[in-house]
Amino acid sequence: MLAARVSTARNVQRAARSFATVADSAGLKVAAIDANQPTSAVTILVKAGSRFETKPGVANALKNFAFKSTAKRSALGTVRESELYGGVLSASLTREHLALTAEFLRGDEQFFVDVLSSFVTSAKFTRHEFEEYVTPLIESDAAAVDADPATYAVEIAHALAFRSGLGASLFAPSHNSITVEDIKAYAKSAFTKGNIAVLGSGIDQGVLAKLVEKSLAATPASTTASTSATSYYGGETRVEAHGGPQTVFIGFGTTGAPSAELAALAAHLSPAPSVKWSKGVSPITAAIPAGASVQAVYLPYSDATLVGLLVQGQSGADVKQAGKAAVEALKKAASGISPEELKTAVAKAKFAAANATESRDGLVSVLGSKVLAGAPATLEASLASFDGISAVALSKAASDLVKGKPTYVAVGDVKALPYADELGL
Amino acid sequence: MVGPLSVSLASYVQSSRTLSRWIKPIANWYANASGYRQYGFKYDDLLVEERPDVQRALGRLTTREKYDRAFRLKRASQASVLHAPLPKEQWIKPEEDNRYLMPHVVEVAKEDAERQMWDTVKVKKN
Repeated sequence: MLAARVSTARNVQRAARSFATVADSAGLKVAAIDANQPTSAVTILVKAGSRFETKPGVANALKNFAFKSTAKRSALGTVRESELYGGVLSASLTREHLALTAEFLRGDEQFFVDVLSSFVTSAKFTRHEFEEYVTPLIESDAAAVDADPATYAVEIAHALAFRSGLGASLFAPSHNSITVEDIKAYAKSAFTKGNIAVLGSGIDQGVLAKLVEKSLAATPASTTASTSATSYYGGETRVEAHGGPQTVFIGFGTTGAPSAELAALAAHLSPAPSVKWSKGVSPITAAIPAGASVQAVYLPYSDATLVGLLVQGQSGADVKQAGKAAVEALKKAASGISPEELKTAVAKAKFAAANATESRDGLVSVLGSKVLAGAPATLEASLASFDGISAVALSKAASDLVKGKPTYVAVGDVKALPYADELGL
Repeated sequence: MVGPLSVSLASYVQSSRTLSRWIKPIANWYANASGYRQYGFKYDDLLVEERPDVQRALGRLTTREKYDRAFRLKRASQASVLHAPLPKEQWIKPEEDNRYLMPHVVEVAKEDAERQMWDTVKVKKN
């Protein structure tokens, strides 16, 4: 009886965490969940990530241009008026999508949908705003990634693994030749009906669809953005850097839709303990020296996946020892995995997938891309795919992965950091 | 508008055909007679620039416009040192005397007015 109750309660919650229906409003995809939150959020998700960019850094520049002056209101007007309503505007960029988000109190949706849609339909892209406001933001984004070896290593790993398309960096090069005309042309090609999905949370779908129909109906209808299919290359590179921890990224990529097996593999390798301040039971944790850390990296994209381990430590020797342990664990997973380990890995991966939809950002990034692609955007569908994983399938996925050419990036003191072959790759 | 652009009836005169037919020849004569073109200036080089708003407007010129402006100022300074106008082929022709700075000044003035408006806005609950 109790078990039955628990499972229904679970199902109810799961149903609330999904974009069950996707409405088509004036040719745009609109999906909303209302779980009775005290605030609402609306995200305009555009297929304008860095993989579609025409020039290095243009996608980042467009992200930083968000909420500047439009035909309806100036940049200052947007900020001041949003402050009066008590809303928060934000823009974020991934390799595939640009998300423009407004979070606000219930009842203010009319204004905030108008703010978001006026940027999409009538942004002015003035040269002086680009020079006065946007360029400093682009530069600070680039400086932030330069100061963070982990992000930097993952950026380089993408360039090595996928070269063009997904290989394009999320950040602009520090010496770039982006002009406001480039950004304008990129925005014009990206802001079309087939490229946009509007996602709401804490807002009624009908209300949102009506507002979207009113404000975004004028968006030009044209074909969706597309790039050539991703292929995986891999390779090795070493970059000198100062001031951060010594960092090594060991990764493998696959092409095709991301599979549940790889998510479970990443969960299996992840040494992150489930209990705070403990060491965890992962085979990697026992073997790494104090002060060094290993993180599992699992980055699924629409037509490729990058799975890897990010090793960081204070010295090159620490990183070498930890890296060896990490590679050993990866190879062991490829040769076979016990049923208990499989159970743990699947449960961990399931929790990670479910927990990602807990936050608003996570909900948009996990399910938004599915809404845009027209696939069923429910958490249940993604959780169900974990149920069919067998130990054989998991270790086969791992061994297929390891057979490929590794993507190996060392960032830090290149004299001391190990080479890929020294770690047993 | 009171400011670097001063009080102007230009838009009123331009909107009336009769007025502009009468006044335009006088205006053209006046612009030539005031002599700044003979020193290689455009009218917008003469705007009072010691003001924060005009400084911001100057910052919005393209690199080429900034360079040309600096060149005209230097050339005129040299002419002033020599106590003589430039040779005639270097005079600014009336069709070259465009308002390259004014639109930026107007834009900046609008922004300042908007900031002023938001700084003093009264919010009413309805």
